[in-house]
Amino acid sequence: MNSPRRENAVLAAPLVLFLLALLGFPVMLSVVYGLSETTFQTLTRPRFVGLDNFARVLGDDGFWQAAWFSLRFGVITAVLQCALGLFLAVYLAPLIRRHGWMVAVLIIPMIVAPAMMGLMYRLVLHEFAGPVPHYLYAWFNYSPPFLNAANVFTTVVVAEVLQWTPFAFLLFLTAYQAIPQEVREAAAVDGTRPWRMFWRIELPLMLPTAFVALFIRFIDGFRVFDNIYTLVGAGPGGVTTSMSIYIYEAFLRQGDIGRAMAAAILLFGAAFALLTLAQRLMRRAA
Amino acid sequence: MNLRTLLGCTAAAAFAAVAAQAEVTVLGWPGGPEETALRAVTEIYNAQPGLAEENRVELLFTSRDGFFDKLQVDLAAGSTAFDVNLIATYSIGRYAPFMEPITLSDQAGTVFGDTVLSTMQFGGAQYGVPTDLSLHFLYFRQDLIDALMADPAAVTLYGDIAEQYLGERLAPKAPGEWTWQDFAANALYFSQSVNPASPTRYGTVIQMKNLLFNMMVFHSWPRSYGANWMDADGNITIDSPAYRTALEMAKMLYDAGATPPDSTSYEYAEANAAFSSGQVAAMIQWNAAASELMAAQPTTGTFAPPAGPEGRFTHIHGLGLGLNAAAENKDGAIAFLQWMSTEEAALAYARAGGAPGLATATAAQLAAERPDLVQVGEYASTYGFVMNGGTSENALSVYEAQAKEFTGYWAGTQDLDTAMANITAAMTDLLQ
Repeated sequence: MNSPRRENAVLAAPLVLFLLALLGFPVMLSVVYGLSETTFQTLTRPRFVGLDNFARVLGDDGFWQAAWFSLRFGVITAVLQCALGLFLAVYLAPLIRRHGWMVAVLIIPMIVAPAMMGLMYRLVLHEFAGPVPHYLYAWFNYSPPFLNAANVFTTVVVAEVLQWTPFAFLLFLTAYQAIPQEVREAAAVDGTRPWRMFWRIELPLMLPTAFVALFIRFIDGFRVFDNIYTLVGAGPGGVTTSMSIYIYEAFLRQGDIGRAMAAAILLFGAAFALLTLAQRLMRRAA
Repeated sequence: MNLRTLLGCTAAAAFAAVAAQAEVTVLGWPGGPEETALRAVTEIYNAQPGLAEENRVELLFTSRDGFFDKLQVDLAAGSTAFDVNLIATYSIGRYAPFMEPITLSDQAGTVFGDTVLSTMQFGGAQYGVPTDLSLHFLYFRQDLIDALMADPAAVTLYGDIAEQYLGERLAPKAPGEWTWQDFAANALYFSQSVNPASPTRYGTVIQMKNLLFNMMVFHSWPRSYGANWMDADGNITIDSPAYRTALEMAKMLYDAGATPPDSTSYEYAEANAAFSSGQVAAMIQWNAAASELMAAQPTTGTFAPPAGPEGRFTHIHGLGLGLNAAAENKDGAIAFLQWMSTEEAALAYARAGGAPGLATATAAQLAAERPDLVQVGEYASTYGFVMNGGTSENALSVYEAQAKEFTGYWAGTQDLDTAMANITAAMTDLLQ
């Protein structure tokens, strides 16, 4: 081994050890548990059962219900957040150029912990204690049941969009402001109207950012846990059970660690496949 | 700092650590009257003359959030951070493999009574000393009932509504005489969706969130129709007319608008807020809510839950303290647990704000200071029940599975037959 390579190995060793200890070991343990019948009573002596846990997970209607919920939630919230974030970034850009402090105000929802956000909505939307139903009753003598089985999905989607649209907004604002002014000036000299300039020049230049924003928001939405769990839990009949909630309940509530780990591995596999796909799409877009 | 000072500090720290290990560490239920009461009795215990220094009790509290999940992990990992830990009726079976049975003092049977002691038993062995008992009361607005019974036109309307929704004509009664049919009729009459002239928006509030504790609140209902989880031979008996009747009645009330439409997201706090607002006429709720609800609605009365064909029942479960199998000071821990089962400790615990389930004679000593405990003790011994399998290893999971299936039926995401088939399969898997 030549000297630079040895130096590289020495320099990389702490990081490699760190990753092995903090990522490698838990991953290996998850695989072992995923292939075993394991409960809290048998944590130290798991019984190998092959792919039984994976078969059980894939044959469980609850798993597919959770997967469908996460997929719908991830896609819908990501699209809504990006659309709103893009609109706000473009619409408010001239104002923000003059009043930079507005950005700080707009990103306030992101500062709140998701679990706290769930608890806050639990209070805000409560028919007898919450301000929203209070004023709806005062003005219209009616307040919709925000958290019943029919409306709860819409409610959690709106809550998620309100909290995380500022993240997409920040990304789009940065991308929008990074477009060279000369490009706009040249287009203006050629007589390009503002709407056409947006569609044909600005939006295409922001497409890589749009991919990144969509991808990050989708992943965040797909793995949602805190705000939904603190707001409505798993939902009546499991209607708000996301993949993360499914895994949490299988692990800690039902003590079925093998099944929980099998579901987690499947979730990891799906996320990895999506990541690879997204990277390819981003490269192509770039 | 020179080497000698450093060594001195290290030795002092090591000594302190050994001393700490020699004490009895008790992991308690944090943040409520249980913590206050436990602190008070611990002071009394530690002040006993002749108590060895190594047997003094130290208390340890963590957050309530995810408490039992964390405890599960700690016990499974063989943690020695505590000698005595909190247990609850529905989790004894799950924790039993990591705990040791104990022998209580000779006074325990007299102080608590057999029903309350059974809330801390698993496989015929006593795994804990009961500290706090939870059961359910029927809370009702006495002013509304009085007004209803005094108005002949209202009584007629009440009968019409009962006939329309329940298939039989009923007359208003005092809540102490209610059956579940009367409870339902009262709930319908006091709901504006059924009776637009009702003084309250809803007749009742049923906690229908997909949460295991809500199943405990619900269980007094099917039990009074004869329901149980298993028969004497261990067969799963949940798919029974008793469960179906209670589930169908609850759904009928939900669909009729007799409980808030958001009830499928309601648990303890939401239900209390609804009742406290003055917009609910009656409800089934934990005994712990008594002071809060009575303060908000001073005309609130309490009684045991309504009766069914098989009698009147209230689901009981208790909190208690048990012995960690990995405890480093078992002798000291056992001595503390035995003392906690004496009359002296139970009375001190109650006076400090705890809610022990005391036998009638013991509770009578506190009648002036804690009249609520007299009622709790009386109801627990007269109407208290634990389902067959309610302390088993997977009891918690059974409640979880029921919560998912039953709330799905109430919310209309699945029919009753599907819910029954699913819960039967789940309970067969969990209990057999």
